[in-house]
Amino acid sequence: MENGTAAEKWRFRGNEVLNTASAITIRGVLNEVMDNIEESGPRPIIPLGHGDPSAFPCFRTAQIAEEAIVDAVRSAQFNGYASTVGIPPARSAIADYLSKDLPYKLSPDDIYLTIGCTQAIEAILTVLARPNANILLPRPGFPFYEARAAYSHLKVRHFDLLPEKGWEVDLDAVEALADENTVAMAIINPGNPCGNVFKYQHLKKVAATARKLGILVIADEVYDHLTFGSSPFVPMGVFGNIVPVITVGSISKRWIVPGWRLGWLATNDQNGILQKYGIVDCIKGFLNITSDPATFIQGALPQILGKTGDDFFSKIVNILREVADICYDRIEEIPCITCPSKPEGSLFVMVKLNLALLENIKDDIDFCVKLAKEESVVILPGVAVGLKNWLRITFAIEPSSLEEGLGRIKAFSLRHAKKQ
Amino acid sequence: MANGSSAKWDTFQGKEERNAASGITVRSVLDEIMENLNPSDQRVVVPLGHGDPSAFPCFRTTDVAEDAIVHAVRSAKFNCYAPPVGIEPARRSIAEHLSCDLPYKLSPDDVYLTAGANHAIEVLITALARPGANILAPRPGYPLYEARAAFSNLEVRHFDLISEKGWEVDLDSVEALANDKTIAMVIINPGNPCGNILTFNHMKKIAETARKLGILVIADEVYDHLAFGSNPFVPMGVFGSITPVLTLGSISKRWIVPGWRLGWIVTADPSGILQKSWIVESLKSYLKITADPTTFVQGALPQIIKETTEDFFLKITNMLREAADMCYDGLKEIHCITCPHKPEGSMSTMVKLNLSFLEDISDDMDFCIKLAKEESVIVLPGFAVGLKNWLRITFAVEPSMLEDALGRIKTFYLRHAKKQ
Repeated sequence: MENGTAAEKWRFRGNEVLNTASAITIRGVLNEVMDNIEESGPRPIIPLGHGDPSAFPCFRTAQIAEEAIVDAVRSAQFNGYASTVGIPPARSAIADYLSKDLPYKLSPDDIYLTIGCTQAIEAILTVLARPNANILLPRPGFPFYEARAAYSHLKVRHFDLLPEKGWEVDLDAVEALADENTVAMAIINPGNPCGNVFKYQHLKKVAATARKLGILVIADEVYDHLTFGSSPFVPMGVFGNIVPVITVGSISKRWIVPGWRLGWLATNDQNGILQKYGIVDCIKGFLNITSDPATFIQGALPQILGKTGDDFFSKIVNILREVADICYDRIEEIPCITCPSKPEGSLFVMVKLNLALLENIKDDIDFCVKLAKEESVVILPGVAVGLKNWLRITFAIEPSSLEEGLGRIKAFSLRHAKKQ
Repeated sequence: MANGSSAKWDTFQGKEERNAASGITVRSVLDEIMENLNPSDQRVVVPLGHGDPSAFPCFRTTDVAEDAIVHAVRSAKFNCYAPPVGIEPARRSIAEHLSCDLPYKLSPDDVYLTAGANHAIEVLITALARPGANILAPRPGYPLYEARAAFSNLEVRHFDLISEKGWEVDLDSVEALANDKTIAMVIINPGNPCGNILTFNHMKKIAETARKLGILVIADEVYDHLAFGSNPFVPMGVFGSITPVLTLGSISKRWIVPGWRLGWIVTADPSGILQKSWIVESLKSYLKITADPTTFVQGALPQIIKETTEDFFLKITNMLREAADMCYDGLKEIHCITCPHKPEGSMSTMVKLNLSFLEDISDDMDFCIKLAKEESVIVLPGFAVGLKNWLRITFAVEPSMLEDALGRIKTFYLRHAKKQ
């Protein structure tokens, strides 16, 4: 008999925890929004919801990076398995790269290669997860942290970023939230989704607060150096003598190559606390049983990090400055949307939706769904990043497309404006 | 600087179970053995412990594969994030490629791309793990299954492979071990560590046994087509209508590029049982929050699969056959070692250590450590793969090195042979 009582007979079942943990991802929410797009042309879809400008020619990566990969592949020196912590030349190259902005030198042994910043986040959350432990995450934030924490049974508490203060961390909230089971707090700088850049003094206060609470700081610096306003990028590792800092980063954003899947976890811990408390051993243990970034991309890293010219970096930052300005200026013309803080970094800006000024739009998801349907413009509803009735707008696209997209948003908002 | 608060750091003590889980991996055991190498030995170290011949020029991958990567990188079309399941052209090309050896056609939707087969193991074990469940794994086997199962709190029960019967699965022990919480059994074919190839009839019996028990089969086919003896390679998916099969594979072994980290999970399940039991849903959910393979390696895949010539594959299998023969013949002269089954596939063979023929060698690890120290030859002690006092010897190395190594092992044996 072929099928019989198939459902009862088979002993395997899916894993419910997984379904819940991965429920809210940015991609998932964007897919839902995009399902509402009706037009099939000739007007192009304007994507202002993603975090990946690599498809746009003006954002193409540096030629030297492509050539570094080609050289590494053709050398046939990097077709084998890598050491689970990463190959020595890659670890050295990253240590040198990060140390440029620190008051001390990182050792190659402080660097662990991962499959993108994503896997670095996975590593540190997995390592920290213990029964009853909790971590403090920013709101709004990056939902991958919540997803991985849920999967590892690590509890999450949220502190606010304050829009009226340039999205600074609400440090009073951090102190109020922490208890004896809190193990870490995460900050994302430059900020996703807010587009802010934390100032030196504020980061120092964050470090002091973390130290007082006995927790480590996870510094998500995946957008490192992508700043175009008045605040310079300050790596949290600068305060590694005050509090242990785990920096997670990658080449994905600065080199516009998220598909290359090359990231790192760096331990900035001048007092050796992470080693002493077994965190370093656990990171190595995690890496021992997980997959690694492609060896030849690791092999290309010294050339990529060492030889990319400042002209490439300046070019990218200039484009970002230009599009951030366009975005901020056009948003000022749209009454139902308020931007509390002009973006200074990363690829995004968080804006508030004033539903009171709109007719028949019930919330941020409804706004985005109708916008997709009527104008073929995609933006991310703020609920996906923890702030309902806000919106995250990505400005990192071709400038002319951005103008077009913002024009359509304005038209949409006029069409739906509440009549006086 | 005040250290008074240092006691508070212990809230993030590293997790002990994590370290235990990663304790035994092939790489970690080999690392330990290699620490005993004698730095003043001028001879080249011969690595017969791992499964990575990519460093040897004779095993260099085909130009076609290198060209495909270069082409994909230079196109700048694959610098973006990929969907969690993999990009469509890659999924399609693997579906077509694998369908050549199956009595039904796989759909691209049956294919899920992973960062190598090790990652596929991670994804599968994670997706299948449920409280109280268990899986059946072969002994000897591949220790990552045990490491990932421990990490996911999934119990592993071991069935034996029968050395006197060409390392066939002991199906009686499979039936005896299974209970109502057993959800799957793992087979590795071509065999790692044993170097055997399962016959069609035996595999059919495995499928029937699994069906009777209501469990699925995880078919680890990472060494697919690396068969050079009298038994042809038969994919387990051939029996997918008897019992659902989850096939794991990658380009790592057949193309000799383990560092490229491109693998797959394929649902070979024409009756759609995996879909109905939510296994597919769990797989997709976990794929959303786990690492991805490099997008441009995915992009290169169709060209790699389509354009690699039979000549290349024949060259590799011919080299493996010669090496396997040389190894088998050479071991016959080393009386403390018995090879119960001439290898006919994959890259290694499992041999028994007869400690009674040796003076002052206490066990397999001791043998390997002393061999490394005295002769600069690395072999893997059998405990690492589940069979204490056996050895796994990799023959996939440059032929002259293999010959040299066999000579050195013989010398070692004679030096330590028990005096009569």
